[in-house]
Amino acid sequence: MSKILICDDEQEILDITRLILEDSGHKVLATVNSNTVASLVEKEQPDVLLIDLWMPGMSGDQVVRQLRKNESLSHIPIIVISASKEGKEIAYAAGADDFLEKPYDIDALVAIVEKQLA
Amino acid sequence: MDDFLKRLPYTGQTDIRLFAAAVSASHNGVVITDHTQPDEPIIYCNKAFESITGYTNKEIIGHNCRFLQDGDNNQEARHLLRQAIKNGEHCQVEIRNYKKNGRLIWNELMISPVKDQEGNVTNFIGIQNDITRRKEAETALIVEKDHLEDRVLERTEELQESEAYLASIIETIRESLVVLDENMKVLSVNDHFCRFFKSAEKDIRGKVLFEHNNGQWNLPELKNLLINVLPNNNPFEDFEIENEFPNIGRKLLVLNARQVTLKGKYQDRILLAIEDITERREIEQRKEDFISIASHEMKTPLTSIKGNLQLLHRKAQQNNDTQYLSGFETAAKSIARLEKLIYDLLDVSKIQSGKVGFNFTKFNFGNLITEAVNGVQATTETHTIVTTGMADIEITADFGRLEQVLLNLLSNAVKYSPNGNQVMVHTSILPDHVKVSITDTGVGIHERDHKRIFERFYRADQISEKFPGVGIGLYVSNEIIKEHKGTLWVESQEGKGSVFSFTIPIKR
Repeated sequence: MSKILICDDEQEILDITRLILEDSGHKVLATVNSNTVASLVEKEQPDVLLIDLWMPGMSGDQVVRQLRKNESLSHIPIIVISASKEGKEIAYAAGADDFLEKPYDIDALVAIVEKQLA
Repeated sequence: MDDFLKRLPYTGQTDIRLFAAAVSASHNGVVITDHTQPDEPIIYCNKAFESITGYTNKEIIGHNCRFLQDGDNNQEARHLLRQAIKNGEHCQVEIRNYKKNGRLIWNELMISPVKDQEGNVTNFIGIQNDITRRKEAETALIVEKDHLEDRVLERTEELQESEAYLASIIETIRESLVVLDENMKVLSVNDHFCRFFKSAEKDIRGKVLFEHNNGQWNLPELKNLLINVLPNNNPFEDFEIENEFPNIGRKLLVLNARQVTLKGKYQDRILLAIEDITERREIEQRKEDFISIASHEMKTPLTSIKGNLQLLHRKAQQNNDTQYLSGFETAAKSIARLEKLIYDLLDVSKIQSGKVGFNFTKFNFGNLITEAVNGVQATTETHTIVTTGMADIEITADFGRLEQVLLNLLSNAVKYSPNGNQVMVHTSILPDHVKVSITDTGVGIHERDHKRIFERFYRADQISEKFPGVGIGLYVSNEIIKEHKGTLWVESQEGKGSVFSFTIPIKR
């Protein structure tokens, strides 16, 4: 069972993403507070991180950069999820491994997570 | 020979007779009066005098000259003549005389006294010159001069009126206007300029524009525009500058400049029209931001709806619960439509603000056609999409954006031919372009709408009731094709289907 950490400032997005991934057999941790992501990653050591881009507090790309700087955590795959197409470039520039645009198909979400787990 | 001559004493000296003959033959009228008799009667007149006055010798001899006045007595010339005769002096006048038939003649009359040995005046000789033509010409000249003066006055008034009229237009315009000479000195500014820039005309008139008010206009781009660009690109339009102006703050201005090419005193003058678009740009920006934020905000609930619905759909399938399957499918289609609408709105907003990013790459045109055709074919069970022609060529274009155009045109072809079962896609390779034509057998488009359907939010009358839509697809497609330096057009007749075609260059 893989452990997945999700961060999104919208509770309903967090809820449905958790439901979908749990339905696919993953263990899911979720937070709406982007400022806590780094410490959660350090503590929980998830197999994949899913993170939104535009959030109050730290933005998704800031979190990605922070994690990429930390050598002990830089191996953890990060998928950025954003409602904006332009987010793709920002995500890759920050060092994310993959990008998924909202609204997504649940099959696409499951596939992108499994790809990073493989 | 005149009787008078015959009566002259024959002295044997031929010269007197010769002089007399000469007088008689003269073209000037000649009269001699007898000053010794009362009332100065005429004792001689030559032929010319007769023909000039129209009177015969008989009617003239023995009469005073005044019969030529015909009642026109109150003349300065006549007074002078009378004075000269009284004093026995020489005199020359221009006098109005009247022929026997009453016609006016201008008479240039010279009289000279003849004196005897004691110095007493015995006769006056009058020499008459008909100057009527000269006088008429002079009068005509005076009339013409008066007329010309009137015309000049009239034209001046007209010009003043038209100047006042133009000035009132210029002063009414809610745009700042500046007139510069070729050395960039300000010749005039309109009211709006003074009001907008909060400066007085007297402070700027005569100043070099770039030096006015501590160099607030000393902008390198503006200098370059007026000095270097304008002479070769006249008139120059839509030049944007953003600057911090001392009295009015930061402003975004659009400048139109025109140099007068008309030969004459206004040549090389520069007219500069300045429009303030600060507020308009802010509103546009706010609108763009709004659309962008609104569509982003719409995506969040849509993600939740879509995710939950797909999850429920999956659960229903897993449980072999077929009762609600068609409901899930309908909902999925509605979500897809809503999603497309949001993307289209975002596209329109981006196109309008010029923020559409295009990503040009090299790819096989045939692959693009196949992908788009397969994409639309998967969404329809009623129509078959048939491809013909040649498309196997490498082109440089934005694959994603062209796919968007093809998807839009193909799904339109399906949508607007509800009774049809086929959509034809024909591709061809031209010398420098590729061409795609998409033919349907649908409702068609009235000719009056052929241009307008590419306008934003425009929907042809006959379809707006039967078919849902907001009128964005063709607008966005047209903008994308334009960005590729291509052309998109339609050939169609109402009720007889439509052919949408576009061409784009093979190389960028």
